[in-house]
Amino acid sequence: MPLYICNSKAGTIAEDAKARIADAVTRIHCEVTGAPATFVHVFFFEDGPQPPLGDKTAMIFGQIRAGRTEAQKAQIHEEMGAALSEHTGIGLDTLSVFTTDTPASWVMEGGDVLPEPGEEEAWLAAHEAKMAAQKEAVQ
Amino acid sequence: MISCVCMVQEGQITSDQQALLRRDTADFAQRHFGGEPQFNWVTVGKGNGFTEAKPSNSVIVSMNADRSLAPSSREPLLRELCEIWERGAQLSPNEVVTVIRDPK
Repeated sequence: MPLYICNSKAGTIAEDAKARIADAVTRIHCEVTGAPATFVHVFFFEDGPQPPLGDKTAMIFGQIRAGRTEAQKAQIHEEMGAALSEHTGIGLDTLSVFTTDTPASWVMEGGDVLPEPGEEEAWLAAHEAKMAAQKEAVQ
Repeated sequence: MISCVCMVQEGQITSDQQALLRRDTADFAQRHFGGEPQFNWVTVGKGNGFTEAKPSNSVIVSMNADRSLAPSSREPLLRELCEIWERGAQLSPNEVVTVIRDPK
Protein backbone atom coordinates (compact mmCIF):
# COMPACT_ATOMS: atom_id res chain seq x y z
CA MET A 1 0.00 0.00 0.00
CA PRO A 2 -0.43 2.43 -1.60
CA LEU A 3 -2.02 0.61 -4.50
CA TYR A 4 -2.56 2.69 -7.61
CA ILE A 5 -4.81 1.10 -10.23
CA CYS A 6 -4.66 2.61 -13.69
CA ASN A 7 -7.65 1.64 -15.81
CA SER A 8 -7.85 2.78 -19.41
CA LYS A 9 -9.65 2.14 -22.65
CA ALA A 10 -7.96 -0.59 -24.63
CA GLY A 11 -5.06 0.59 -26.74
CA THR A 12 -4.75 4.05 -25.23
CA ILE A 13 -1.64 3.39 -23.14
CA ALA A 14 1.33 1.98 -25.06
CA GLU A 15 3.03 -1.00 -23.46
CA ASP A 16 6.33 0.85 -23.26
CA ALA A 17 4.69 3.80 -21.51
CA LYS A 18 3.55 1.74 -18.53
CA ALA A 19 6.94 1.51 -16.86
CA ARG A 20 7.38 5.27 -17.26
CA ILE A 21 3.95 5.96 -15.79
CA ALA A 22 4.62 3.55 -12.91
CA ASP A 23 7.91 5.31 -12.29
CA ALA A 24 6.20 8.72 -12.26
CA VAL A 25 3.38 7.55 -9.98
CA THR A 26 5.89 6.03 -7.55
CA ARG A 27 8.11 9.11 -7.58
CA ILE A 28 5.19 11.53 -7.09
CA HIS A 29 3.72 9.51 -4.23
CA CYS A 30 7.07 9.35 -2.46
CA GLU A 31 7.93 13.00 -3.03
CA VAL A 32 4.55 14.23 -1.81
CA THR A 33 4.15 11.91 1.18
CA GLY A 34 7.73 11.05 2.14
CA ALA A 35 6.85 7.36 2.03
CA PRO A 36 9.45 4.86 0.79
CA ALA A 37 9.03 3.47 -2.72
CA THR A 38 8.97 -0.05 -1.26
CA PHE A 39 5.29 0.37 -0.47
CA VAL A 40 4.12 1.63 -3.87
CA HIS A 41 2.24 -0.74 -6.18
CA VAL A 42 1.00 0.35 -9.62
CA PHE A 43 -1.18 -2.06 -11.61
CA PHE A 44 -2.54 -1.40 -15.12
CA PHE A 45 -5.77 -2.72 -16.62
CA GLU A 46 -7.54 -2.12 -19.92
CA ASP A 47 -11.33 -1.78 -19.80
CA GLY A 48 -11.24 -3.16 -16.28
CA PRO A 49 -14.29 -3.00 -14.04
CA GLN A 50 -12.60 -0.81 -11.42
CA PRO A 51 -12.57 2.08 -11.39
CA PRO A 52 -15.43 2.44 -13.87
CA LEU A 53 -14.24 4.64 -16.73
CA GLY A 54 -17.58 6.27 -17.56
CA ASP A 55 -16.82 8.92 -20.16
CA LYS A 56 -13.10 9.03 -19.28
CA THR A 57 -10.30 7.50 -21.34
CA ALA A 58 -8.07 6.67 -18.38
CA MET A 59 -8.21 6.80 -14.62
CA ILE A 60 -5.82 6.31 -11.75
CA PHE A 61 -7.43 5.16 -8.52
CA GLY A 62 -5.14 5.17 -5.50
CA GLN A 63 -5.77 3.40 -2.23
CA ILE A 64 -3.46 5.25 0.13
CA ARG A 65 -2.87 5.16 3.85
CA ALA A 66 -5.13 7.44 5.85
CA GLY A 67 -3.54 10.51 7.38
CA ARG A 68 -2.45 12.46 4.31
CA THR A 69 -3.56 16.08 4.18
CA GLU A 70 -6.04 17.40 1.65
CA ALA A 71 -3.21 19.47 0.14
CA GLN A 72 -1.06 16.37 -0.31
CA LYS A 73 -3.93 14.52 -1.96
CA ALA A 74 -4.65 17.44 -4.29
CA GLN A 75 -0.96 17.55 -5.26
CA ILE A 76 -0.97 13.79 -5.94
CA HIS A 77 -4.07 14.11 -8.12
CA GLU A 78 -2.70 17.04 -10.10
CA GLU A 79 0.83 15.71 -10.65
CA MET A 80 -0.23 12.14 -11.48
CA GLY A 81 -2.82 13.46 -13.93
CA ALA A 82 -0.17 15.55 -15.64
CA ALA A 83 2.24 12.58 -15.77
CA LEU A 84 -0.43 10.28 -17.21
CA SER A 85 -1.26 12.85 -19.84
CA GLU A 86 2.39 13.44 -20.68
CA HIS A 87 3.18 9.75 -21.18
CA THR A 88 0.00 8.86 -23.10
CA GLY A 89 -1.05 11.99 -24.96
CA ILE A 90 -4.48 11.70 -23.32
CA GLY A 91 -5.99 15.12 -22.65
CA LEU A 92 -6.35 16.20 -19.05
CA ASP A 93 -10.09 16.61 -19.56
CA THR A 94 -10.55 12.91 -20.39
CA LEU A 95 -8.58 11.44 -17.51
CA SER A 96 -9.14 11.38 -13.80
CA VAL A 97 -7.11 10.69 -10.68
CA PHE A 98 -8.64 10.08 -7.28
CA THR A 99 -7.67 8.45 -4.01
CA THR A 100 -9.32 6.82 -1.06
CA ASP A 101 -7.97 6.42 2.46
CA THR A 102 -7.24 3.08 4.13
CA PRO A 103 -6.12 3.01 7.78
CA ALA A 104 -2.55 1.76 8.06
CA SER A 105 -3.60 -0.67 10.78
CA TRP A 106 -5.80 -2.52 8.27
CA VAL A 107 -2.83 -3.53 6.12
CA MET A 108 0.04 -5.99 6.55
CA GLU A 109 2.98 -5.93 4.17
CA GLY A 110 6.22 -7.82 4.55
CA GLY A 111 4.72 -9.58 7.56
CA ASP A 112 4.25 -6.36 9.54
CA VAL A 113 1.30 -4.04 10.01
CA LEU A 114 2.02 -0.87 8.06
CA PRO A 115 3.21 2.21 9.95
CA GLU A 116 1.20 5.36 10.34
CA PRO A 117 2.24 8.15 7.96
CA GLY A 118 5.49 9.72 9.22
CA GLU A 119 6.65 6.56 10.99
CA GLU A 120 7.95 4.80 7.87
CA GLU A 121 11.66 5.24 8.53
CA ALA A 122 11.60 3.47 11.91
CA TRP A 123 9.26 0.81 10.51
CA LEU A 124 11.55 0.10 7.56
CA ALA A 125 14.64 -0.12 9.76
CA ALA A 126 12.93 -2.55 12.14
CA HIS A 127 11.47 -4.53 9.25
CA GLU A 128 14.79 -4.87 7.44
CA ALA A 129 16.52 -5.92 10.67
CA LYS A 130 13.84 -8.56 11.23
CA MET A 131 14.16 -9.88 7.67
CA ALA A 132 17.96 -10.04 7.98
CA ALA A 133 17.69 -11.94 11.28
CA GLN A 134 15.22 -14.41 9.76
CA LYS A 135 17.50 -14.94 6.76
CA GLU A 136 20.48 -15.53 9.03
CA ALA A 137 18.51 -18.00 11.13
CA VAL A 138 17.65 -20.03 8.02
CA GLN A 139 21.28 -20.20 6.81
CA MET B 1 -21.39 -10.53 2.54
CA ILE B 2 -17.66 -11.17 2.90
CA SER B 3 -15.92 -9.98 -0.23
CA CYS B 4 -12.37 -11.00 -0.99
CA VAL B 5 -10.36 -9.41 -3.79
CA CYS B 6 -7.22 -11.36 -4.73
CA MET B 7 -4.87 -9.54 -7.10
CA VAL B 8 -2.10 -11.74 -8.47
CA GLN B 9 0.49 -11.38 -11.19
CA GLU B 10 0.08 -13.37 -14.42
CA GLY B 11 1.98 -16.65 -14.33
CA GLN B 12 2.66 -16.35 -10.61
CA ILE B 13 0.19 -18.93 -9.30
CA THR B 14 -0.67 -22.29 -10.81
CA SER B 15 -4.24 -23.51 -11.05
CA ASP B 16 -3.53 -26.07 -8.33
CA GLN B 17 -2.17 -23.34 -6.06
CA GLN B 18 -5.19 -21.18 -6.81
CA ALA B 19 -7.55 -23.97 -5.82
CA LEU B 20 -5.65 -24.47 -2.56
CA LEU B 21 -5.55 -20.73 -1.83
CA ARG B 22 -9.27 -20.36 -2.47
CA ARG B 23 -10.00 -23.30 -0.17
CA ASP B 24 -7.75 -22.05 2.66
CA THR B 25 -8.88 -18.44 2.30
CA ALA B 26 -12.53 -19.52 2.35
CA ASP B 27 -11.82 -21.62 5.44
CA PHE B 28 -10.18 -18.59 7.08
CA ALA B 29 -13.24 -16.42 6.33
CA GLN B 30 -15.60 -19.10 7.62
CA ARG B 31 -13.71 -19.56 10.89
CA HIS B 32 -13.18 -15.88 11.67
CA PHE B 33 -16.05 -14.08 9.96
CA GLY B 34 -18.71 -16.76 9.85
CA GLY B 35 -19.31 -16.98 6.12
CA GLU B 36 -18.06 -17.97 2.69
CA PRO B 37 -16.27 -15.15 0.91
CA GLN B 38 -17.28 -13.97 -2.53
CA PHE B 39 -14.02 -14.05 -4.46
CA ASN B 40 -13.00 -11.51 -7.06
CA TRP B 41 -9.84 -13.06 -8.51
CA VAL B 42 -7.94 -10.48 -10.56
CA THR B 43 -4.87 -11.31 -12.64
CA VAL B 44 -2.52 -8.47 -13.49
CA GLY B 45 -1.16 -9.08 -16.98
CA LYS B 46 2.53 -9.44 -17.70
CA GLY B 47 4.17 -6.03 -17.95
CA ASN B 48 1.24 -4.43 -16.13
CA GLY B 49 2.26 -4.79 -12.49
CA PHE B 50 4.90 -2.66 -10.80
CA THR B 51 6.11 -2.49 -7.21
CA GLU B 52 8.74 0.07 -6.31
CA ALA B 53 8.59 0.98 -10.04
CA LYS B 54 9.95 -2.46 -10.95
CA PRO B 55 8.11 -5.53 -12.29
CA SER B 56 5.92 -6.73 -9.45
CA ASN B 57 5.80 -10.09 -7.71
CA SER B 58 3.26 -8.85 -5.19
CA VAL B 59 -0.12 -10.34 -4.42
CA ILE B 60 -2.72 -8.20 -2.69
CA VAL B 61 -5.49 -9.94 -0.78
CA SER B 62 -8.22 -7.68 0.54
CA MET B 63 -11.06 -9.09 2.62
CA ASN B 64 -13.98 -7.45 4.37
CA ALA B 65 -14.53 -8.42 7.99
CA ASP B 66 -18.03 -9.05 9.32
CA ARG B 67 -17.51 -6.58 12.17
CA SER B 68 -15.27 -3.71 13.26
CA LEU B 69 -11.99 -5.03 14.61
CA ALA B 70 -9.64 -3.58 17.20
CA PRO B 71 -5.97 -3.49 16.14
CA SER B 72 -5.14 -6.23 18.65
CA SER B 73 -7.71 -8.49 17.00
CA ARG B 74 -6.90 -7.52 13.44
CA GLU B 75 -3.14 -8.09 13.52
CA PRO B 76 -3.22 -11.86 14.15
CA LEU B 77 -5.85 -12.23 11.43
CA LEU B 78 -3.71 -10.27 8.97
CA ARG B 79 -0.78 -12.49 9.89
CA GLU B 80 -2.74 -15.72 9.48
CA LEU B 81 -4.06 -14.63 6.09
CA CYS B 82 -0.56 -13.60 5.06
CA GLU B 83 0.81 -17.00 6.08
CA ILE B 84 -1.89 -18.80 4.09
CA TRP B 85 -0.76 -16.96 0.98
CA GLU B 86 2.97 -17.28 1.65
CA ARG B 87 2.56 -21.02 2.09
CA GLY B 88 0.01 -21.58 -0.67
CA ALA B 89 1.74 -19.49 -3.33
CA GLN B 90 5.33 -20.10 -2.21
CA LEU B 91 5.92 -16.39 -1.72
CA SER B 92 8.09 -14.43 0.68
CA PRO B 93 6.50 -12.11 3.26
CA ASN B 94 7.63 -9.13 1.20
CA GLU B 95 5.53 -10.36 -1.72
CA VAL B 96 2.25 -10.59 0.17
CA VAL B 97 0.00 -7.67 1.10
CA THR B 98 -3.07 -8.48 3.17
CA VAL B 99 -5.87 -6.07 3.99
CA ILE B 100 -8.77 -6.72 6.36
CA ARG B 101 -11.36 -3.98 6.15
CA ASP B 102 -14.09 -3.09 8.57
CA PRO B 103 -17.60 -3.32 7.09
CA LYS B 104 -18.86 -0.11 5.53
